Amino acid sequence: MFKNFHNIKFLVGDSKFEKVLLTPYDDEICNFLGDFSKELSKKIYNDLIDLKSLSFWCRKNNLNKIKKSFFSNEIRSGIGLIFHVTPSNVPTNFMYSLIFGLLTGNSNIVKVPSKNFEQIKIICKIINNLLNKKKFKKIRKMIKIVKYENNNDEFTKFLSSICDVRIIWGGDKTIEKIRKFPINSRSFDLTFADRYSICILNAKTIKKISNNDLENLVRKFYNDVFIFDQNACSSPHLIFWFGLNEKNTRFKFWEKLSKIIDKRYNIPDKAVVDKFSQFCRDTINLKEIKSQNKFGNMIYTILLKEINSEIENLRGKWGYFYEKEISNLSEVKNILTNKFQTMTYFGINKRQLETFARSNLKGIDRIVPIGQALEISLIWDGYDINKKLTRIIDIK
Amino acid sequence: MMENKKFLEQINSLTELHYKNSKIFKLVVDKIYKKKVFSSHINDVPFLPVSLFKEFHLKSIPDSKIFKILNSSGTSQTKLSSIYLDKENAYQQTKVLNQIVGEILGPKRLPMIIIDEKENIKNQKNFNAKTAAYIGFSLFGSSHFYLIENGKVNYKGLNSFLQKFASDKFLIFGFTSKIFFQFINLIDPKKLISNSFNKAILIHGGGWKKMESNKISNKKFKEILMSKFKISNVYNYYGLVEQTGSIFFENKDCGFFTTHKFSDVLIRGKNFEVLSKNKKGFVQLISTLPTSYPGHSILTEDVGEIVDVKNCKCGKKTKHFYIHGRVKEAETRGCSDV
Repeated sequence: MFKNFHNIKFLVGDSKFEKVLLTPYDDEICNFLGDFSKELSKKIYNDLIDLKSLSFWCRKNNLNKIKKSFFSNEIRSGIGLIFHVTPSNVPTNFMYSLIFGLLTGNSNIVKVPSKNFEQIKIICKIINNLLNKKKFKKIRKMIKIVKYENNNDEFTKFLSSICDVRIIWGGDKTIEKIRKFPINSRSFDLTFADRYSICILNAKTIKKISNNDLENLVRKFYNDVFIFDQNACSSPHLIFWFGLNEKNTRFKFWEKLSKIIDKRYNIPDKAVVDKFSQFCRDTINLKEIKSQNKFGNMIYTILLKEINSEIENLRGKWGYFYEKEISNLSEVKNILTNKFQTMTYFGINKRQLETFARSNLKGIDRIVPIGQALEISLIWDGYDINKKLTRIIDIK
Repeated sequence: MMENKKFLEQINSLTELHYKNSKIFKLVVDKIYKKKVFSSHINDVPFLPVSLFKEFHLKSIPDSKIFKILNSSGTSQTKLSSIYLDKENAYQQTKVLNQIVGEILGPKRLPMIIIDEKENIKNQKNFNAKTAAYIGFSLFGSSHFYLIENGKVNYKGLNSFLQKFASDKFLIFGFTSKIFFQFINLIDPKKLISNSFNKAILIHGGGWKKMESNKISNKKFKEILMSKFKISNVYNYYGLVEQTGSIFFENKDCGFFTTHKFSDVLIRGKNFEVLSKNKKGFVQLISTLPTSYPGHSILTEDVGEIVDVKNCKCGKKTKHFYIHGRVKEAETRGCSDV
């Protein structure tokens, strides 16, 4: 048994790690999360828009919808105890991970980032208040939220040894590190690694839409990219323009975006210097550049003749995009690897996309309209989390 | 005005020189600056981000002409800058440094204390910025004495140095952090024959990152030197290894750095627009010295501002500026640790 709880903070719950199960989507769970959503909506400040999305996401209505999609004739049960290792730079991600574990009826130990995020404080306070209520006494034993330094290997090792499922949110380095700690032979890891995302825009459609519609489109694109500094797995780095020789349309799009950024985005000084350095570096290193442009000093674009660099080298932050003109979706297909996660789109019809999705792609797990890149769901990274975190009791 | 024009001509001809001789520089000027080699205003001169010197071999001379390669001392970075010098460029650096430092120290060599260990300097495998600075500044001194021996203050040596030289002007040189940790913090005044540093001229530069993390400001630094050692002649200098030679000294009277005929400073905002006086922004340094590598116009990762001083008591008519420190590391949001 683990004894050295020195330097380990229990933000929710205590060190009595139990395996308590509830039926997936049990009323107590859904009510708890619904109440959580309500309480959270009262605490929202303008600058913490991630809390707003979280509250919106786990409102009762949405949970009921998800519950319906879970329903099947199989008898499904939670698996047991889930140990969640959550990413250090997305303050609310841990809560989504916890919600996944709760909805599927499991007990949870969630390791939150060691940085002092205001969001974590607010969320844990609400959870603690709710858990004091009688009606949530079962769920009380199912939630432990812990905070400790990443180098406390002993504790990570211990939690790994007692869990049935270990969910590791990347970076790849974190996954590699955590995987070194053994789990039981019946246990398994569910990993969310570093991913790469793209966007496909139909230049011919964009050319035709009204100024207002373009404004809306660009706003949605802005949300996909800048809420997490273009550093979320599902934010696009590479933009495919459907339609050749549509320079004017492309420029119009980027110019609009650069105006929104000027108004809404507070770019850190270091990012300004880094982006410019990357622009120079690409100018020198990338052989396949067709043209390159700056829109204001906030948007940098590199138009490629062809794509033969590793995608790791075609990755920007804070408003740095690689572009490629295409006349056929098969050009996208040819570059895909299992690193590719989300493809956001505009102006491509659904049938075309479905044909594309059925064409034995080597990558891409999500194809969603522009504006939904960051919308997390229980289908993520190609997994159906409802199914991953439950087991079937086969009865004949 | 005439001087400005002459300076711009010098800089334009450097841009042309590097454009012709450095493929990398040409590529950047062609693609990012639309082939603009000649600028009609100093604000329009193409600049390179300082980080490029860490990633590319930027040189405007054939390999056969390389006389020495200067590396940044790089205590806190992983990658080092490499500066390729030919004989002529190296000579110019020394010459200009002489002229700039000469204004402070006068023509005579002064007895000199170096705040470091002799072994540390000799053992540098590469010729780095630190060694270059020690060697460069050593030329202004005589009877060089290294304060530290086996990690400890050599009191015996120090006392005999002071006995011989402290009655007149003498020079103390070291990096800011070395001065702080190995001089200010390490010396026990009780072990000195007398507290006789009042005639010292102390020159220090670089290393503010360490000072910042120890919450020691430039002002505090000077105050301690005064209160503990009665040293009032303290000269902080600022410069890039990429522009060795044309360094900037803090003026004793006003506390600001000033430009000289070998240099100019521009402050740029987030859109790289040139900012007016009293506004904080990125520091761009322009120097007439770099001929063997394209380092005559560099966007640093420092934040500074040009200060508005009319008839400054220091008597200098050139630009006065202040350095606020390094650009802060950005906290990136997002799930990827790439």
